[in-house]
Amino acid sequence: MNARLLGVALVLAAARPATAVAQVERLAGRVDDATRAAVAAVVDSAREAGVPAEPLVNKALEGASKGADGARIVAAVHALAGDLGRARSALGPGASPAELVAGGAAVRAGVRGAVLEELRARYPRESLMVPLAVMADLVARGVPADTAARSVLVLMREGVRDAELVAFRQSVERDIALGAPAGGAAAVRLDGALPGTTSTTPAAPRKP
Amino acid sequence: MTDDDPLIARVAAELRRPRSPGPGFDGRVMAAVRAVPAPLPARAWAWLREPRVLALSPLGGAAIAACLAVLAAAGVWGARRGSRDGSGAPAVAARAAAPAAPSVVTFVLVAPQASTVALAGDFDGWDGARLPMRREAAGIWTVDVPLTPGRYDYAFVVDGRRFVADPAAPRALGDDFGRPSSVVTVGSGAPGAAGGSL
Repeated sequence: MNARLLGVALVLAAARPATAVAQVERLAGRVDDATRAAVAAVVDSAREAGVPAEPLVNKALEGASKGADGARIVAAVHALAGDLGRARSALGPGASPAELVAGGAAVRAGVRGAVLEELRARYPRESLMVPLAVMADLVARGVPADTAARSVLVLMREGVRDAELVAFRQSVERDIALGAPAGGAAAVRLDGALPGTTSTTPAAPRKP
Repeated sequence: MTDDDPLIARVAAELRRPRSPGPGFDGRVMAAVRAVPAPLPARAWAWLREPRVLALSPLGGAAIAACLAVLAAAGVWGARRGSRDGSGAPAVAARAAAPAAPSVVTFVLVAPQASTVALAGDFDGWDGARLPMRREAAGIWTVDVPLTPGRYDYAFVVDGRRFVADPAAPRALGDDFGRPSSVVTVGSGAPGAAGGSL
């Protein structure tokens, strides 16, 4: 190896963990040393799997801000690293950090990895951040994960924009707030968004 | 053996004697150098820079112009089709990732009884003090935050100690710390708003 190649390799080796180190440094003064070291270990491990450090450190900071103890913070960071890792496996190495965060939320919501893989296969060059976030948000409102995933997939197949996906989610949320069953609300709104199609889910009865 | 040895001295003197390479030496060296193939990038660059004369008949030129016109028209038609919103079905290419330009998101909380309200979230390291909210009329608290596209967990910090999830926003899944958070998703579009009332 000549001197130039050696220099490049050394710079890369030094620069790569520097980002993660800088992220972990944000924990200084916010958590105790033991917790910080444990979080750093999770971050290092996750980084090797292609998971970005920032959301993991943010989770630790959230725990610190909310007064959680070290063990709970580390457990939460570890769980998030797992979700992000599964999202990364499904979405591929080209996934952006924003996509991974949204994908991790979708995975945590119960959306299957196969759904993420299908999305990436269909839309290899488009950002999937908003569709994945909408899936996770629908599940958070009580829509079954499979129904949420199917709704988003069908709408995307129709070519809807991100803003329209968000509008769909808001409509479902309004219906749920008015008393409609979550799964039924999503199915009815999907039918409304797709004239000429019929949902396999019966329409949601509305409370008066 | 030393330099004083007469035999060594004679050999050394012979070796040190200048020799003429002959009249065609330079030419032979340059021919040998030219015979060595240049690296591929250098050859490619030289090929690209070398001027050429293209012979083109009027009919061939017209055919090429027609092809270019058809391609340009197809591009314009595709772009218009992609942006059309007839049945809400623009081309999926409209979803293509955009540069991460920040959008200003207005967070709102109605909390008439609160003395102070701040915003804390993934975007400020859950600081709780960096984003104080302004009290408007009727106990409405607001703050504008520029956010790049992404999904962020956040909560309101009421009176410096109480974490309150946004009643008007989706909850973050998995309440890891016993105090729920909310979620805001910022796309690559127009400014947004998030908020609700206590």
